[in-house]
Amino acid sequence: MELVDKIIKGERAAIAKAITLVESSKDTDQQISRELISELIKKPGKSIRVGFSGPPGVGKSTFIESFGSYLVSQNYKLGILAIDPSSQITGGSILGDKTRMVEISKNPNTFIRSTPSRGTLGGISMGTREASIILDAAGYDFIFIETVGVGQSEIVASNLVDIFTLIVGPGSGDELQGIKKGITEYADIFIVNKNDGELKMEASKTAADYKSALSYYKKLDALEKQVLLVSAIEQTGMEDVIKTINQIIDQNKLKGIFDERRADQLEYWIEEEVKNIIASDITKRLTSKGNIPKYSEKVMKNEMSMYEAVETITKDTLKQ
Amino acid sequence: MTNKSNNGFNTWQKSFEKETKKNFSDAKSETDEGIDIKPVYTRDDLENFSFVENNSLPGQWPYTRGPKASMYTNRPWTIRQYAGFSTAEESNEFYKKNLESGQKGLSVAFDLPTHRGYDSDDDLVMGDVGKAGVAIDTVEDMKILFNNIPLDQMSVSMTMNGAVLPVLASFIVAGEEQGVDKSLLSGTIQNDILKEFMVRNTYIYPPEPSMKIVADIIEFTSKEMPKFNSISISGYHMQEAGADNVLELAYTLADGMEYVRAAMSKGLDVDDFAPRLSFFFAIGTDFFMEIAKLRAARTLWAKIMKNFGAKNERSLILRTHCQTSGVSLTEKDPYNNIIRTSYEALSAILGGTQSLHTNSFDEAIALPTDESARIARNTQLILQNETGVTKTVDPLAGSYFVENLTEELSKKAWDIITEIEELGGMTKAVKAGIPKLKIEESATKKQAKVDSGSRVVVGVNKYKNPKEPSVDVRVIDNNRVRDDQIKKIQAIKKSRDTIAVEKALTNLTNAAKDETNLLIPCIEAIKLRATVGEVSKALEQVYGRHFAKSLSVSGVYGKHFEGDEEFMKVESKIKEFENLNGRRPRVLVVKMGQDGHDRGAKIVATSFADMGFDVDMGPLFQSPKDVAKDAIENDVHAIGVSTLAAGHKTLVPELMKGLKEIDPKSKIIVFVGGIIPEQDYDFLYENNVSAIFGPGSNIIESAEKVIDLISDNLSKE
Ligand code: B12
Ligand SMILES: Nc1nc2c(ncn2[C@@H]2O[C@H](COP(=O)(O)OP(=O)(O)OP(=O)(O)O)[C@@H](O)[C@H]2O)c(=O)[nH]1
Ligand SMILES: [Mg+2]
Repeated sequence: MELVDKIIKGERAAIAKAITLVESSKDTDQQISRELISELIKKPGKSIRVGFSGPPGVGKSTFIESFGSYLVSQNYKLGILAIDPSSQITGGSILGDKTRMVEISKNPNTFIRSTPSRGTLGGISMGTREASIILDAAGYDFIFIETVGVGQSEIVASNLVDIFTLIVGPGSGDELQGIKKGITEYADIFIVNKNDGELKMEASKTAADYKSALSYYKKLDALEKQVLLVSAIEQTGMEDVIKTINQIIDQNKLKGIFDERRADQLEYWIEEEVKNIIASDITKRLTSKGNIPKYSEKVMKNEMSMYEAVETITKDTLKQ
Repeated sequence: MTNKSNNGFNTWQKSFEKETKKNFSDAKSETDEGIDIKPVYTRDDLENFSFVENNSLPGQWPYTRGPKASMYTNRPWTIRQYAGFSTAEESNEFYKKNLESGQKGLSVAFDLPTHRGYDSDDDLVMGDVGKAGVAIDTVEDMKILFNNIPLDQMSVSMTMNGAVLPVLASFIVAGEEQGVDKSLLSGTIQNDILKEFMVRNTYIYPPEPSMKIVADIIEFTSKEMPKFNSISISGYHMQEAGADNVLELAYTLADGMEYVRAAMSKGLDVDDFAPRLSFFFAIGTDFFMEIAKLRAARTLWAKIMKNFGAKNERSLILRTHCQTSGVSLTEKDPYNNIIRTSYEALSAILGGTQSLHTNSFDEAIALPTDESARIARNTQLILQNETGVTKTVDPLAGSYFVENLTEELSKKAWDIITEIEELGGMTKAVKAGIPKLKIEESATKKQAKVDSGSRVVVGVNKYKNPKEPSVDVRVIDNNRVRDDQIKKIQAIKKSRDTIAVEKALTNLTNAAKDETNLLIPCIEAIKLRATVGEVSKALEQVYGRHFAKSLSVSGVYGKHFEGDEEFMKVESKIKEFENLNGRRPRVLVVKMGQDGHDRGAKIVATSFADMGFDVDMGPLFQSPKDVAKDAIENDVHAIGVSTLAAGHKTLVPELMKGLKEIDPKSKIIVFVGGIIPEQDYDFLYENNVSAIFGPGSNIIESAEKVIDLISDNLSKE
């Protein structure tokens, strides 16, 4: 494929077009996209994929601008996939990330793509995983994925990356109680942002809260979780972040966890794809047979029970 | 006995209901501010006031009726026309002509590079030099600007906020070198940074250091320049950006309170500086509302200053400049603008303004020509000399309606002010972006009213002129101005004492690290011929440059069009497009260069999103190259360039070049909106611009054209 060569050469327009293909809801695009990804997977780059998630407004974009500037100043190439949370009733959206990534978006060593989330689970949009494969093949050293953290979404996002970072704000220690349970499972690094000005005290306190909460769960987890204090605005703490990322990656590679994770993610991906295909196939069959309205009417008329209807429809639908 | 219970009123009400076939209680009309206007007001409506005092007099507490006892009966308001373009030489000529023709005070409009602290030779400002104001790079330019204008006699107002330090310093040094001591300089420096973050967008540094600079200037002028207004606290730009009158009033006064606190934190006594605080309001088309606003502003400010412990009466008095509304003026059928401006001017006068700028009829086309500027000035001369409005002070006092409206506005504004104070004041609110968002919401509502036809704009959405007149346009060759300025900068850099300049700049940088009043080292640097850009950079080293985070409203526009056929037609075209192409049409809306007019861009973005487009919003001040990178990486179908400050002939071709550089086969189409004189259309089309949307464009119609153009373009594959 011509497109593959262009992507590997790092041609900006080709990368962009390829991402459009993997995000497209059109069947023919999906077909091409599958061929494309199959090709690209054979030619992996060496990028490290880092996820950044956190509640709206904690400063994810500002942090990425700050941290990203630091990385490009160290001559790293940086790809950013920003899943923009602004979804609307009307379906259209305003993608405003670039107003928060002014400096890095100018840099020739970055590629920044925003995608409207369209209310999909976890704010991860269709095609995010594929897009990161494209950027990997195109030679980016780091791929950042920014998602809004709302409940379940972190788990979905953490399944796409090598290292997952939760960004929180000062004073979020209270929320910790609620999310403590699963917290160590998916996040590798906790970044407490806004460690500046009047918020400094609060930020330190929050970091301490996280640390103590995490130490409580330490036994359950083989890996040391890191809690870092940064200020995206004042650009402090950035060296710590990269140092920690590199440390964890090295350590994970050494222990085989890095590859293990990627293997797990591949399994998860395959499972998801299979489920998707089956689900859309079943949906098609359901609609074409029109069984649901038919049986629902019978239930209404008390001709059969709800569960009888379900069973009958299921059998009929699965029957080839 | 009150009116309502008397027979007269009952009879009136019956007649009214018979004539209108409406219940009196339903016969109200709601203003943009959410105030219900009744069809008639009576003496009853003068009761239960908590702000307005019915028996007050002009020049007396609470100053509702005017800052002075005699007002225009003694001396009419100052005709002060805002102007500036191209080089200092050309602007100086223009000023002198205007003064000969009856103008009384000067008001300098600087170009955008100067506003943002860049010299004319900076690559970032290529399209902007001399375009939307006069370019000032050094004190030499400032001296030329006031050549043969004696600064001890002429009061000079300067709209400068971002680069306020080097510009005020240049003014002081220019005076000094003209032989005028700074204590004799009279005039005003705008120095109002909070509204820059909200709406005007010519900030340089982040909010905190910017507020410190404001306070430095208040401190310096209060001690050294007794005839000079240290600040012009401005609501004008808020209304022009879309604020209704309550928002304008409340945010302006809340800003004022913040400045008072900033100055007091420097250890000044409130009475040391408060008499030299001045204000600036816009006067829009809502005739009585605008009058009431000025009366309410004075009333509230007196109360506010009393709360600050002011003892000097002059500290309590709000003095203001006004400008008629530019945004009410139209590109279509432009002579209508003369009429609009006249009514607005009358409104400002009946409200008791101290000075006034009236806009030219070519406002929505370009900077005024000599001819259009003359008509604008004459509007005021006629008011002063022919109409008799100067003969009575506050002639509308006692009007049931106007007094009631003054009270209503005061109440509503006071509620907002109280709310902001509870949140910790305007600096905090501005940093969180709330006022900006509220203003954008209000602007979007107004646009929806015009686009849906529920608000009539003569010549635009009704009573269109079938034979649009073509008008002369002031053309500025920015390349020539830029070349001239660069030559001047180079000459100065050659002849000055470089080592001394560098030392002065280092001093300034160091001063920014502590509490030193920055104007003092600034004056030193400027005297030695440091440039405006160098001085700004010296401070930037410590403070950094501020990038605004932009938030967007959503759903406000769409809500106005529920069930609207045209709107739904566009929506369904977009759905169709999505089915066909696997994604929604995606448009990148951008502002390039130093043009900070973002009202149009923001409104278009939110409205397009409401119709179903995916809209990428670029930051302010992008370079064409950066836009090209953004557009290609996000694989947008189209770029919508919003351009109002006349940079389009430089910036649009650069953008086209930028796109081709990254992707020679780029199929991204470009369309342009904003202030584009008809004379430039062909130039843009020749540069492959697909469509142009000028002022007054209906957004739904524009959206339909955009989706059609995108579809056409894709089908060409
Ligand atoms: C409002 C306004 C301001 C506000 C801006 C507030 C804001 N945040 O936007 C304030 C008061 C702050 C301001 C300041 C200045 N202004 Co001003 N301003 C105007 C004014 C009166 C109206 C512009 C406007 O907002 N209209 C309403 C919006 C909705 O309309 P619009 O932007 O035209 O958009 C419509 C269409 O054009 C089109 N459109 C526009 N963009 C796009 C994009 C797309 C994708 C599409 C599809 C359509 C589209 O659709 C929109 C809906 O109909 C114009 C004159 C005029 N009447 O147009 C002067 C004007 C633009 N300003 C001017 C100047 C000079 C300035 C200053 C530079 C003055 C100075 N020297 O200090 C300053 C600096 C501002 C800066 N930072 O750049 C000049 C520019 C001169 C020129 N082009 O030759 C003008 C033309 C006035 C004049 N004749 O002198 N200004
Ligand atoms: N004080 C302080 N404020 C910050 C910092 N980082 C971000 N902010 C502010 O927090 C607000 C939100 O920042 P964003 O970067 O847009 O946050 P986000 O998490 O990307 O937001 P969404 O994408 O909308 O979820 C902005 O007003 C920033 O200026 C920081 O380090 N310190
Ligand atoms: Mg973000």
